[in-house]
Amino acid sequence: MFTRVSIFVIALSIFCGTVLTSLLSPEEAQAIPAFARKYNTNCMDCHTAPPMLNAFGQRFLENGYQLPGTEDGGSTGKKKLGDLNLDDVNQYLGFRLVGSAVRSWNFKQQNPPGADAGVVENKTEFTFPGIFLLYASGTAAKNIGFFVDVGHFVSGAGAQVDRGFVTFNNLGSHNLAHLRVGRFDPNAFSSYGTVRQQFADIGGSQKRGCAAFTPCAFNRVGLTPSAFATKFYGLYDRSGNALSPFASSLFNSGAETGVDVHGRPFGDWFLYQVGVLNGASENVGDSNKGKDVYGMIRLDYAQSDYFSASISGFVYQGNSNAKVQTHEDVNWNRYGLSARATYMMVDVFAAYSVDRINKIPTGVAGLFDSTATGLTIGADTYVTSQTLVSLRYDNLDAGGMLNQRMSTSFIDVQVKHFLRANVAIFARGDFNLRQSEGGDTAARNLRNTFFSGIDVIF
Amino acid sequence: MRIRTIVAIGAGLALLSVASFAQAVKPEDNQATRAKGKQVYERACLLCHGVNGKGDGPAGWFLGRYEGPRPRNFIGGSYKFRSTPSGELPLDQDLFRTVTQGIPGNMPSYGGLSEEERWQVIAYIKSFNHSFKGAKPTALPLPNPPGPPSDAGIENGRKTYIKYGCQKCHGDNGYGDGKEALDGNLKDTYGLMVSPGDLTERASLKNGSSAQALYRSIMTGLDGTPMPSYADTIGGNDKDVWDLVYYILSLSQERP
Repeated sequence: MFTRVSIFVIALSIFCGTVLTSLLSPEEAQAIPAFARKYNTNCMDCHTAPPMLNAFGQRFLENGYQLPGTEDGGSTGKKKLGDLNLDDVNQYLGFRLVGSAVRSWNFKQQNPPGADAGVVENKTEFTFPGIFLLYASGTAAKNIGFFVDVGHFVSGAGAQVDRGFVTFNNLGSHNLAHLRVGRFDPNAFSSYGTVRQQFADIGGSQKRGCAAFTPCAFNRVGLTPSAFATKFYGLYDRSGNALSPFASSLFNSGAETGVDVHGRPFGDWFLYQVGVLNGASENVGDSNKGKDVYGMIRLDYAQSDYFSASISGFVYQGNSNAKVQTHEDVNWNRYGLSARATYMMVDVFAAYSVDRINKIPTGVAGLFDSTATGLTIGADTYVTSQTLVSLRYDNLDAGGMLNQRMSTSFIDVQVKHFLRANVAIFARGDFNLRQSEGGDTAARNLRNTFFSGIDVIF
Repeated sequence: MRIRTIVAIGAGLALLSVASFAQAVKPEDNQATRAKGKQVYERACLLCHGVNGKGDGPAGWFLGRYEGPRPRNFIGGSYKFRSTPSGELPLDQDLFRTVTQGIPGNMPSYGGLSEEERWQVIAYIKSFNHSFKGAKPTALPLPNPPGPPSDAGIENGRKTYIKYGCQKCHGDNGYGDGKEALDGNLKDTYGLMVSPGDLTERASLKNGSSAQALYRSIMTGLDGTPMPSYADTIGGNDKDVWDLVYYILSLSQERP
């Protein structure tokens, strides 16, 4: 399963983590990240375990970065320009650094036919950091919030604005309608949000140099939640680049440009959200002939006994948002359910989505499965006051070109130890549940992985 | 034309999102006030304090995970932040101060609620605890601080600090690292571990860090925690109390 060298490096990293833990005095963090600094409070007011939100944090987010039940933007954000100092600025700025210090890939077969040479190899390597995010957010005035998130993927080139938007809150009356304009995460408010995962996204690796609108093999499958993934083999963006079946997309893309409205007009138990997007996320591409539209509703129970639960459903209608290899446009839609229940230290969540291509182009008729599904079930639980254990199960029933598609099932385990509420070290393993099924495609070839690193939010 | 339209839409949205600031005096504590307070409570307080005020809201558990303090149980819990003697209920003004200022490190300031809304929600919070009915809690005297502290006074405060055993919890230098804290002996009435205040970090002091606020904390104690009231001991000697207050304040100035 693991090579001798891998075992040595993994043991070494666990040892280093233990030493690091003993050197750094564990303590409850007080008011570290930007919002906690602004309100002089504790990270855990809003999070079950950063970055996952608890019920209070969720309502804070919905209210445009204002405390639930208030419209406090003006009272905390208004200051003459000349009176601003660093203490004021740090109430709006934060960063997150997350990355693996060591990672290990284990494949059934090294460099199988079709894979890039030197990429698919059993290897353990040191690598740090992975992702650096800088964000500025808060309230510009009463009921006017903003968020800008600049991400730098260290292995990639340059930095880019992941999200940047303005919110106009409590339009009409309190909690009736909150408007977001800009580039935002469409799935920020459902029971299982896209970007707030304990498991950092591990993208797939696609073979380099594939010609446009031709099948393109994968060196390695991605380890994103299957319910959020593209799921289809044989879809292309408008430039002809093959879309990764493992990349988060559509309602779950994490960042799309458009406008949406959400609110709780009937009380705390019901949330609605509707939106219109360009649907041109860089992750998935889009011929963008028309706008994509979506709607989501969420039912909540959050009253007492340290218990909360919610269930959500959404519909995302794409409009010419992908192409097939014959260059023809398709309308790619997604329908999904998600649910979450939190009781004291236990947080359980799940999402199921069905992706459908409504009308198969004649050029690929009979060759293309128009339906794909993804299921993700996860749980986080504190086993001590500072240690969080996370589990995730993913099953992707792939659709798309019949001669390419390959379903996947993975189980992921992670132990995250919070040195402070905003600083954690983690060790993670992902295991392919279908590795015994044979074949040398990427979906079968990756057997397991190991990652160990640090997650700092300041 | 397009720019004008966008500007007009933007201005409209900004106008819509601006609400009036309500400046109100304390409303009468009656059924109507409590009903309005209930609405505010359900919007702003329920998620931590729970629908029945037991402090068991869906977000309440995470505040300290396995440590205190958890959100206040309004039904029977003792109130930490009072200007009344230990064991007594707080004044309305005490509750108003806590709602308005928040509790550093634990509860954000709800100054974003209008003054009227804050009084309304206090009326509703009091309805959870029948002891408030007809109760007329009385504040301990809270004198104005004497003139500027002298070196001799601060030295006397240091001796008072040691004489009354403050260092056992707060540590020799006020860092909150006294032996009782390090040994894990400090627990609240729910059996959850609590940390003593770091006296060198004024912003972290939960009951306020002004000279008067420190005087109040020493005299009233923080009920439900290991911090006792010293009204019956040091309280008879006002000079010693103020010297102790100034010594505590000097700790945060001396921090490297």
